[in-house]
Amino acid sequence: MIIAAKLALGLASTMVFATVYTFHEGVIRVDVDEHHYGGSHVHIWVPAAAVPMAMHFVPKEHLRDASNHAAEFMPLVQIAASELRRYPNTTFVDVEDGKDQVRVRTVGSKLQIDVLNAEEDVHVAVPLSTINDVAHQLASECADGPAI
Amino acid sequence: MSRVSEHFSRSAVVGFAAAVLLTPIAIMAQASPASSTSSSTSERWLHVRVTSTDSKNETVRVNVPLEMAEKVLPAINKDRLHNGKVKFDDHDMNGVDVKALLDAVRSSKDGEYVTVQGADSDVRVAKLNGYMYVHVTEKNSHDSEKHAKGSEKNRVEVKVPMKVVDALFSAGKDELDVLAALRALSTHGDTELVSVKSDDNTVRVWLDSRNISD
Repeated sequence: MIIAAKLALGLASTMVFATVYTFHEGVIRVDVDEHHYGGSHVHIWVPAAAVPMAMHFVPKEHLRDASNHAAEFMPLVQIAASELRRYPNTTFVDVEDGKDQVRVRTVGSKLQIDVLNAEEDVHVAVPLSTINDVAHQLASECADGPAI
Repeated sequence: MSRVSEHFSRSAVVGFAAAVLLTPIAIMAQASPASSTSSSTSERWLHVRVTSTDSKNETVRVNVPLEMAEKVLPAINKDRLHNGKVKFDDHDMNGVDVKALLDAVRSSKDGEYVTVQGADSDVRVAKLNGYMYVHVTEKNSHDSEKHAKGSEKNRVEVKVPMKVVDALFSAGKDELDVLAALRALSTHGDTELVSVKSDDNTVRVWLDSRNISD
């Protein structure tokens, strides 16, 4: 009985800590709502910590190809992502044109991009730490040189 | 069950319950936006606002912390922009030696240097209290429909601290040091840098310590 209780406790603790670890970097949120009749409503929540882990499973040649294409902008992305963390809850770009609106802002430690128009609303929120991690991984892939 | 193992089990259950109860709070705290204000008093923000006066009332607002711009700019290396400097050639300046021109303006006393009163527009370039002013006023719009309105004018006003102008031209002969200009700009107080008022649009570029545009 005691052994079963201890096993259950160990299992539950592991699950709790795994959950805490998975969500400790927040979540990536993508919401797409089409306004027309029968339009799709897509709401995706992905643990941010899963992205750098998932990148390890991407075939090296694809990752290297992507990093080569993005190499020019990686230092910019890394600096911008780390700098943006210093400005939580700030709107950097806000464009309004009638019913259309595009907004780029930080909400807490996330970068949020909102695109609203008569046809659809799109909201994307990505933790800045995730952007930084991905940029670091891509940069290191690029630095490793071509695949043999 | 021994007392030790009973005590251990009880403590573990209490600890586990506390962890389970606190986990959502921790996650919510992670997900919720920080309540702190983002702008300290020492921070300088460059704001750009473009307002269109057409029926849709289009508005563009850009807010950039100068400190961030100073760090990001050197990372942009594209076309003529490298390490915060923009290259230009004589062809771009129509053969005008801008450096020599600025040297002359810098060493001169405050005053109005250029005044052109033309049929279409008035141009005024002046230096006053450490600032360089460029004012251009277009007298009549060439657009016939707008021309019919008669009274509307396009007006461009640029006010740049001389230190910023100096910094901008502090690099090589054929370079504009934008990074140095940003650094020089960050030492200045609240300033309206550019104001454009035309028939269709209003453009404002200004510097202050607030992280939001008005």
